[in-house]
Amino acid sequence: MIASPARTLVLSLAMAAFMSGRAAATPQQSDPQAATPPPADPQAAQTAPSDRAVDPSQPDFTLIALPTTLRMPKFASAFRVTHRFNRPLGDGNFGDLVEDAFGLDGGAQIGLEYRFGIWSGTQVGIHRTNDRTIQFFLQHQVFRQGEKLPVTIDAIATAEGTNNFRDSYSPALGAVISRTLGRHGAFYVHPIWVNNTNPLPSELADDNDTFIVGLGARLRVRPSVYVLIEGAPRIGYEQDKPYVSFALEKRAGGHAFQVNFSNGFGTTMAQIARGGIDYDNWFLGFNISRKFF
Amino acid sequence: MTRYPTPRTWLLGCVLGTAIAAAACDEKLSDFIGPSTPNLSPTFASIRNEIFETTETAGRPACTNCHTNVGRNPAAGLNLRSDPYTALVGVPSRNRAGATLIIPGSPEDSYVVRKLEGRDIAGARMPLNGPYLSPNQLAVLKRWIEIGAPNN
Repeated sequence: MIASPARTLVLSLAMAAFMSGRAAATPQQSDPQAATPPPADPQAAQTAPSDRAVDPSQPDFTLIALPTTLRMPKFASAFRVTHRFNRPLGDGNFGDLVEDAFGLDGGAQIGLEYRFGIWSGTQVGIHRTNDRTIQFFLQHQVFRQGEKLPVTIDAIATAEGTNNFRDSYSPALGAVISRTLGRHGAFYVHPIWVNNTNPLPSELADDNDTFIVGLGARLRVRPSVYVLIEGAPRIGYEQDKPYVSFALEKRAGGHAFQVNFSNGFGTTMAQIARGGIDYDNWFLGFNISRKFF
Repeated sequence: MTRYPTPRTWLLGCVLGTAIAAAACDEKLSDFIGPSTPNLSPTFASIRNEIFETTETAGRPACTNCHTNVGRNPAAGLNLRSDPYTALVGVPSRNRAGATLIIPGSPEDSYVVRKLEGRDIAGARMPLNGPYLSPNQLAVLKRWIEIGAPNN
């Protein structure tokens, strides 16, 4: 059968429509988040595709405790819970560790976090840990990785206080610099100054500030599985050894499940600046995050 | 696409800077020490007045109740009433051979600190029968020694 030009045109259009439909459907099937319909706001619609789509190189707003440069869409939000179990994994023998369910039977430092996008690329949030520390934070994307600049730069400011934000205020100011490697992951540098990290009054201390240079990476080892590592070398007030942590993470739709091993319990900026305990004691922990967009 | 700072970004920076400046607070020394010795600071004059010569309402006796030459012989031969700086800094202990009462720059090795903490001492912890100095009061004394125990 010889096709007429009209029939050929109809078939071509049908094929093109089918293919485009498949192309649009593919990410929806693999990433339920990508199925989110675009917002009605035309201005938001211009930025929505890049902000709301899953970024496989940095799928979440934090590495383990340090922030990433993932953009928060306007009026979107995300929630995270952090656990750092208090039992050192090295205490006792392996049998003891199993009996204690790898630390799950003991206490934990728990953190709850909520962040909200006030503008596209600008987010505010609150993080509270169960030692009654509350941290407020604000993060704004200043430069975005592209042809003119090889890195993304976010400005970040935090302010935390102990005793439900009544005592020991520790503000921090700095940047989050990231370099994504295609879809394979990203590297991060966090030059951040944290004030009043020393719990002693300044009359009794040589240093009351800490400048950390957080270093971190998230590498994609499977389509939705990541290996993460981060640390926070520093100068200034040093209470303990520099914080180090590594983790394994699984992304599932809008959720990210992470198992981590850290040498401390810190999840807020001042806690990270004060450092981990030492390099002989490691603690099991986990993060669970959920994006609401 | 590369983005450059917009006026909104600079405004945000100004707000942040202001917030940081407003929030950048230090711990208050008086809150740290507590109400019993509110004027205690890491200076010798303050330590002499607040610790050596003051009996706290909570019951901690002044050091000079016993370490004085007024009406008695100073306990352990240590007179903190007339010239306490000369009596303490760099002076060997009569109580423990080889120990020095206050070693500028070395609070943990200073025998006065050890006596007040009850650590590696001969005889009783001071003040005798307590109440003892709080850890935060001791932190002030240690800081004064750590910075060189100046006669200030």
